[in-house]
Amino acid sequence: MRLVRALLLLTGVGFGLWGVWLMRDFTSEQLVSMGTWLAGGVILHDAVIAPVTVVLGVVAARLLPGRTRSVAAIAFLVWATLTVAFLNVLSGQGGKPDNDTVLHRPYGLSWIVLTLVIAAIAAAVAYRRRPTAVQRRSR
Amino acid sequence: MRLPRVEDIEKRIPRPEDFSARSRGPATTARVGTALGIAFGICFLTGLWSHFQYDSPSWLPIGPNPAWLYRVTQGTHVATGIASVPLLLVKLWSVYPRFFIRPPKARRDQLVDVLERASIGVLVAAAIFQLTSGLLNVVQWYPWEFSFRRTHEAVAWVAIGALLVHIAVKLPVIREGLGASVADEPPVDAEGPSRRAVLRGLTVASGLALVLTVGQTVPVLRRISVFGVRDGDGPQDLPVNRTARAAGATRAASDPAFVLQLKAGARTVSLTRDELAKLPQRTHRLPIACVEGWSRNAVWTGVAVQDLIALVGAPSRSTVTVRSMQTRGAFRTSELPGDFVDDPRTLLALELNGEPLSLDHGYPCRIIAPNRPGVLQTKWVRELEVRT
Repeated sequence: MRLVRALLLLTGVGFGLWGVWLMRDFTSEQLVSMGTWLAGGVILHDAVIAPVTVVLGVVAARLLPGRTRSVAAIAFLVWATLTVAFLNVLSGQGGKPDNDTVLHRPYGLSWIVLTLVIAAIAAAVAYRRRPTAVQRRSR
Repeated sequence: MRLPRVEDIEKRIPRPEDFSARSRGPATTARVGTALGIAFGICFLTGLWSHFQYDSPSWLPIGPNPAWLYRVTQGTHVATGIASVPLLLVKLWSVYPRFFIRPPKARRDQLVDVLERASIGVLVAAAIFQLTSGLLNVVQWYPWEFSFRRTHEAVAWVAIGALLVHIAVKLPVIREGLGASVADEPPVDAEGPSRRAVLRGLTVASGLALVLTVGQTVPVLRRISVFGVRDGDGPQDLPVNRTARAAGATRAASDPAFVLQLKAGARTVSLTRDELAKLPQRTHRLPIACVEGWSRNAVWTGVAVQDLIALVGAPSRSTVTVRSMQTRGAFRTSELPGDFVDDPRTLLALELNGEPLSLDHGYPCRIIAPNRPGVLQTKWVRELEVRT
């Protein structure tokens, strides 16, 4: 186990140094741009995406009836991660104006449909899991 | 009233214990992390392969067989990257409370703590960078100053290196986490989602991310992949990556006085398009496979490059430099190694799916060879020169 960990550690450091070596002839402008995107991603996640998710969780826990919280959380997981994964095509950026074989689908509409489908499935699951009359009386 | 002191502010910053979700913890993190590690490993290996295909090193000569190889490796690369987005987000969510662990008191422990946090910082930065830059490259959006190809490669080594260091540091926790049951949960927050529910939800999300985009590589899923960048449609039933206008090739390519130059040393032969069409024609079904992950099969008709260079007395295993009429952008010339020229399927194509090439597909003639990245399938060819 110790040997495996030491080998992993050394290989990892070696790979990382090789990656830095591949950057040796990058101009300072390129390095600054790369650094901005590297740091920007971490800051965007740790200071915006993660705290907003936590706050949404806290708000949902206060607003939603207890039994629907699990379903709501999983629906949010699927919806939010897919939205991030599709942000590139949803952004409206990229492609070339003279090339209509790329980015030529109605992505916004697809995203609205995706959102509605996830919401409908979540609502259906929450409804099926509602307490029965017997359970309600026994409370 | 007094000003708040450091301790007062510190009390307001949440502690790891403040995060109540029972679905977090090593059993969840180890499973998501394993899936993500495998996905990143696939991306790394297929990514290296792509660089080898662009620039084949002497110790690894990549040939024309099998014709579908780059289509599969690069399609896998992009599809795995997209499916990794939900995995990375949930992985980061599962460990977010650990961000708030207070630094240890003892000096010696502090150094280890700083090193560990730094390695995780590098890993997270590189992982987010790779997925973001890859996703933007797929839609041809470059809002940065660096070279995508070289930077995506360099940061990949950093990401995999930091990942290996992370696995080395966490190996005991990972083994324990994988050994722990997902059902075995501490009795807090009984109404939140269970670990099993989170893992199932993540599987669905990752699977949907794949299915809803992979149709640009897997033709069967074309209609389902509503978030795919391409659906396989285009002029003559094939998508276009760079139009003649974008490449600045329109004028030269539509000039009726076009002649193709064949060169080998001092020997030169010029051929009009009509003369090319009178040479023996071959028809092959070959894919265009782009670095952006999309690929599509098409039927190509034209003259084998080996037949053309025979006209200037060159042997069929020669290396050939291909020059395009395009005036803008990279890859105006490409190199066809001898292994490809020697393959009779390597064509100077005149027709695509039974029609003369459209201008955006490379009229008057273009290169199509088996197992090559799309950008090396040079369009609007004006000259083939045999390297001597």
